[in-house]
Amino acid sequence: MKSASHPPPLVEKVFLWYCERAMIEDLHGDLDEIFYDNLKRMSLARAKWHYCRDAVSLMLSYSVKKRKSNAAYHPYSQNNSMAMLQNYFKIAVRTLSKQKFFTSINVLGLSIGMSICLLLVAMLSYIFRYDNFHKNGGSIYRVISSTDDSQRNLEHASSPAPIGDLLKHDLAGIGEVVRINKTFAGDATVDNKTIPLSGYFADPSFLQVFTFPLLKGNAQSCLSEMNSVILTESAAIKMFGDKDPIGESITIGEFGQFEVTAILKDHPKNSHLYFEMVAPYESLLAYQRVHPPSEIWKEFRNNYNYFICEDETRLENINGYLSSLANKHYKDRKTFTASFQVQALHNIVPGNDLVNSIGPEWDYSSFAIFGILTLMILLPACFNYASISMSRALKRSKEIGLRKVVGGMRGQIFMQFIVETVVVSLLSLGGAFLIFVLIKGEFISMLANADGISLEPDFITGLCFVVFAIVVGFAAGIVPAVYFSKINPVNAFKSNLPFKALSGTRLRKILIVSQFAISLGFIMSVVIVLNQYRASLNHNFGFNQSNIIDVELKDVDPQIFKNEFSRLSSIESVSMSSGILGTAATANEWVRRDASDSVEVSSMSVDQYFIQNMELSLLAGKTFADAESVQEQNVIVNEEFLKTFRIADPSAAPGVTFTGVDGKEKKIIGVLKNFHYASLRESIGSFYFQYDPTLFQYANLKVSSTDITASFDEMQAIWNTFKTEEKFMARFFDDELADAYSFYFSMIKICGFLGLLAISISCLGLLGMVVYTVETRTKEVGVRKVMGATDGEVLYLLSKGFMKLMLVASIIAIPITYLIFDKVLLGLQTAYPIRVGIVEIVISLIVMVVLGGVTVLSQTIRAARSKPVDTLRYE
Amino acid sequence: MKGYLGEFEELVLLTVASLGEDAYGVSIKGDIEQRADRSISIGALHSTISRLEEKGYLKSWLGDPTQERGGRRKRFFEVTHDGKVALHEVKTLRDELWNISKANLDLAK
Repeated sequence: MKSASHPPPLVEKVFLWYCERAMIEDLHGDLDEIFYDNLKRMSLARAKWHYCRDAVSLMLSYSVKKRKSNAAYHPYSQNNSMAMLQNYFKIAVRTLSKQKFFTSINVLGLSIGMSICLLLVAMLSYIFRYDNFHKNGGSIYRVISSTDDSQRNLEHASSPAPIGDLLKHDLAGIGEVVRINKTFAGDATVDNKTIPLSGYFADPSFLQVFTFPLLKGNAQSCLSEMNSVILTESAAIKMFGDKDPIGESITIGEFGQFEVTAILKDHPKNSHLYFEMVAPYESLLAYQRVHPPSEIWKEFRNNYNYFICEDETRLENINGYLSSLANKHYKDRKTFTASFQVQALHNIVPGNDLVNSIGPEWDYSSFAIFGILTLMILLPACFNYASISMSRALKRSKEIGLRKVVGGMRGQIFMQFIVETVVVSLLSLGGAFLIFVLIKGEFISMLANADGISLEPDFITGLCFVVFAIVVGFAAGIVPAVYFSKINPVNAFKSNLPFKALSGTRLRKILIVSQFAISLGFIMSVVIVLNQYRASLNHNFGFNQSNIIDVELKDVDPQIFKNEFSRLSSIESVSMSSGILGTAATANEWVRRDASDSVEVSSMSVDQYFIQNMELSLLAGKTFADAESVQEQNVIVNEEFLKTFRIADPSAAPGVTFTGVDGKEKKIIGVLKNFHYASLRESIGSFYFQYDPTLFQYANLKVSSTDITASFDEMQAIWNTFKTEEKFMARFFDDELADAYSFYFSMIKICGFLGLLAISISCLGLLGMVVYTVETRTKEVGVRKVMGATDGEVLYLLSKGFMKLMLVASIIAIPITYLIFDKVLLGLQTAYPIRVGIVEIVISLIVMVVLGGVTVLSQTIRAARSKPVDTLRYE
Repeated sequence: MKGYLGEFEELVLLTVASLGEDAYGVSIKGDIEQRADRSISIGALHSTISRLEEKGYLKSWLGDPTQERGGRRKRFFEVTHDGKVALHEVKTLRDELWNISKANLDLAK
């Protein structure tokens, strides 16, 4: 058994590994001696166990720690990292300025790659400073609720109204509680001026809980009077101009008269509360928006409960109380459950995606998508850097070998290369910042919550940028740094580098291929989306779109409008409607026939001339043409409607009745051929026209004139005779339609921009690689030419490898992009996708091959044309 | 007095002195365990020895390779002059205290 009675090898290895280079021969010997001593007195297993224990106690001992720290420094290395860093920096600047061409390729590539990331960094640094101006910020919480009605699981930012009151009365130790209701919105009128304003109803504690400084008025009493209102500074200027608004009265929509008691300083943009005015919660109660007690716990929308809780340990209590509330009020409902949670102020923005949020929302998921997009641009740029600097290995290996021979350690070589990359990435930050400034405005205009963000760089954002650049430097530099620090000096000097084969040729090929695949994907996206946009506009909507001008009625009476406008000679006919066909402006309703389940249908109110005006084709029955048919219960339906209600024959439909939610009966008098009443995002559903003059919002004028500007002037003149303050708003129907599809434009813009970035980065990477290849093969080219090769043959030889790479990239990218668009994306955007055809693919391919080809040929042509005399003298 | 001498440190120093030429890790550990009837871990012992070396009370050198330790060398320890002085000081202090409190410490009482 002699062979087995050794100390446990694993423990021994761990011990030696842990001690690194420390001198621990004696300790190791002590361990062994004790082990063999123990073997004489106890079983092998016990001895091993003791050995293990002793080894651990040694590893934890001061003795090993001290010996390790004694051994940590190499005799040559001084513990003065600042001087070393300075030296790294100096070397980096020298190397970079010596290789100006590669440095500029790298800087350009990284600038492009980082530019879009700066947008993300600036956004994040702003969003994470949301709501940081509240003095009590750390102790403000709100109650959020989640509901489950067996069909949908919803997370609300809001919670039922009574919770605020109950919290205040039932819980000891809770600070101020404030209820907020966001339905306070309407047209505010002062004298003759009307401006839409929106804001909150809130308890008087609003100003104590949140920090919104007052410019005028008393913070204690300004919300205590029933019909008082506080305005923000900008709202007050809009309404009252230079006049002192305190004490003035203002009429707000349906809510009646309010007296201005205070003026708030405009709240900062980074506030999740977004309002122009605040009125006491009591006035909401007075306005009788309160639900009966049985319903009040079912109303989750629009009501928010905030509270202050100084003591975090009490939150447990509050949570417990809230769940007892939920149990009490939702226990007897089988199909509906709800629960309440407490959310801290700093978790609101950025936060989880909640429905019915009180102000601008920034949820994590959209950041994740944006983050992935930016990474798709940044990563190739970093790869480029790594690949270009590794391709310089041949030139730099001698330098590294020399450094190692005179005592440079691996860690120091590593740091040298990292510092070099960080210098490059800091230089790129300058370029990236320029691009950032250029695209910032455009980017903000594409955001849904543009009001809630500012990308003006401030000190903190700038700091984030620098930190980001350094991180990018590390990320891009780590691969070359590890690679170079590994170089064996002996091989480096011999110059027959065994790692030449290893110098990442295959890796770089993969990188080039993946970059071009991404670029091709973006180019294809642009082409496909453009095509879809064109197709949407030229789609046969099933009605007449040309020569129709839509005019917003505003507050003009439809009858007067019609009488006046019909007189114009350029106008053939005038019809009225509640919305515009082909956009999304229809009303949705639930109707049923007999006792069947109700079905969701869309509807629009039109007058008797509309169907004729739009050239919709009637299949059966009649239109609203005569006085008898112009009745409120009469409707004209589309074919799809009949299908839903299982009426096979259109001619059987007239006379059929159905019931709406309000219990009113409706009678079908006509059937129309299917047409696209809504946007092409949705497929044609059940739809009906009804006649309800109170709902008319648009006049549709059919014009015959050829001189459009003149007729517009005439119309403007007539409009001016109406007693209205509103502006004359008229647009061509086809323009409205084009507007409805403008979301394609932002898609094209985004894809186009990303594509531009991706393809420039790929071309830069390719350029770097081509230059390197051409440089290393200069002599070969010379010899070939001396032996009789023609320019064309040399050109083919040098370029074919790169062209092959692009071919591989397109073989990868085309099917993936095709699948993504054909099967997924277009299906989400439109119900009538255009199939991705061969033409789009060929166009994208040509774009990419031309760009890549120009990059490659720009270098190889020069090499091919060069005189062998010069090339052979090279080096 | 140059630094404070802990109880265990004193024990280790005295043991090193008592072992003379043969004071190394395992022998010191064995001697203390046997004499004081307490189990000590090798890690704690070496920690203390390192601190005593830092204080200048011990010095060490490497011996010759030996068979039973897998050919590894032992590190032998010896009490330095400073170490001796420190031990004497501790002893003097103890003796004084004993002299003063002898009457009260009589076990028979």
